[in-house]
Amino acid sequence: MNRRLVNFISLLICLFLNIVFTQKMVHQFKFENYDVAIMYCVLNLILFPIALFVFKRDEKQSEVNRREQ
Amino acid sequence: MSEKNNRIPFDENNYTHNIHRNNERKLDRRGFMKTLVGAAGVFAVSSLPWGAVAAKELMGLSEKEYPHKKIADLNKIGIGEAVDFKFPGEHDDALLIRLSEEKFVAYNSACTHLQCPVFWVKEEGEMICPCHHGKFDVESGSPVAGPPRRPLPTIEVKVENGAVYAVRVKRYES
Ligand code: FES
Repeated sequence: MNRRLVNFISLLICLFLNIVFTQKMVHQFKFENYDVAIMYCVLNLILFPIALFVFKRDEKQSEVNRREQ
Repeated sequence: MSEKNNRIPFDENNYTHNIHRNNERKLDRRGFMKTLVGAAGVFAVSSLPWGAVAAKELMGLSEKEYPHKKIADLNKIGIGEAVDFKFPGEHDDALLIRLSEEKFVAYNSACTHLQCPVFWVKEEGEMICPCHHGKFDVESGSPVAGPPRRPLPTIEVKVENGAVYAVRVKRYES
């Protein structure tokens, strides 16, 4: 599949997971399962560097593409 | 860096101002992706306080005993009536309901949907939230109708020397 599309979709997935994890985090927090809440918080935190990485990679790839043309 | 500054306009690479002025109405693919990354950042930052408070609770869990607090005198509450009180803190609204001669139930009265104050409707035998008409079961505090999904936190009470006291907030059993 086209790399641009892959990058784009992985970013969308990141954001979707962000929403899911946030929702779960708040609920587990309210249910007083604090350890699970912390786990979701950490998951949310690592999604950001992943998203950033995908974005940077996309930037690099499109640069390469441009040079090849 | 200096090279970057000499170019006018220099290439900006930030995650918030990613639409260029001269085609203001255009959000290209790259700009949109940047927004997505920015949103992921916002999610990350905003989940920090939850994690921090959760960690704090986790460490101080053992000392979660509050001083017992007198709610009301026994003879002041008729059967089927409810009394508002504050427990455990000054800002935590709670609701005590006398169901029968012996039976008292008490709940934290902040609705588990969006924190509106839940009140007791004697005629219907239900606790009702005015905001979105959530209903809670009196016996258990569990939601029976409307948007709330989580039971109201139960407050343990005991009757002593002709008065009702709040003892502790029960933990949810998972
Ligand atoms: S706040 Fe109680 S039902 Fe929405």
